[in-house]
Amino acid sequence: MDWPDLSMGKYGFYVWGSYLFSLLLFVWEILSLKQRKRALKQQQQQQRSSPVSPKVFTGSANETTS
Amino acid sequence: MFYPVAGKMIPWFAIPAAILFAAGMYVGFFIAPTDFQQGDAYRIIFIHVPAAWMGMFLYVLMAIYAGVGWAFNARLASMMASALAVTGAMFTLVSLVTGALWGKPTWGTYWVWDARMTSTLILMFLYIGFISLQASIDDTRRADRAGAILALVGVINVPIIYFSVQWWNTLHQGATIRLIGKPTIAAPMLTAMLIMLAACWFYSVAVVLIRLRCIILEREQNAARFAEVNA
Repeated sequence: MDWPDLSMGKYGFYVWGSYLFSLLLFVWEILSLKQRKRALKQQQQQQRSSPVSPKVFTGSANETTS
Repeated sequence: MFYPVAGKMIPWFAIPAAILFAAGMYVGFFIAPTDFQQGDAYRIIFIHVPAAWMGMFLYVLMAIYAGVGWAFNARLASMMASALAVTGAMFTLVSLVTGALWGKPTWGTYWVWDARMTSTLILMFLYIGFISLQASIDDTRRADRAGAILALVGVINVPIIYFSVQWWNTLHQGATIRLIGKPTIAAPMLTAMLIMLAACWFYSVAVVLIRLRCIILEREQNAARFAEVNA
């Protein structure tokens, strides 16, 4: 197996920059989703342990209304 | 019922996505030859082209789901549209940035206001608009409806992006792969590009399913809290 020229001719910055930017975005998306999932689980646990007081509630999702 | 099924489906898309990304990079960097005109700079296409295609494809899919959600009051379809938006925006951003990084060595500039690039930038703004609009409206049903209108109006931009290189004189090169007719690209280059496209598709399904599960949970939690407060 021949390794490619890592300098990509004289275009290393552009080629590796493209892949690095894409990789960073993919990693960011996966990590932010993990964080969102974790926060939701924590929220779920809190909700189970202590019911929400009407004064504290500020959310407005009206899934129950038409 | 959908929630656990989606959870079980995620690894079936995430693992092939990782394998296909590795395979695509291998074919793109080890097997595909150096281009005689652009040198190694052309290797950006292995991420640029699949990202651009995914950006357009996910927008059309998002508009369809948003439209179905709006027309039939199907909440899962509306949630799917919301889940698709961020990934679509991300792929569009990847296509814009990698396109700029390809443009500099080949055209001598990162950006020109040519039809293909400008219409792709508009696609990015449409995604941002959809996400912002949904985030700015607290009532989820109103947010879904407003998002659906924007998504459906904006879908007209997708054929404009696709045909822009034929309709206008642009700096951007024409299509190298056509639905009808032979591609004007060497087989190993095409193979690498198609493998990377498959990788992007599998990745998209996996992350969209994860996000969809989060949205379902969030809306259920909000509904439960609302019911609790009004009890």
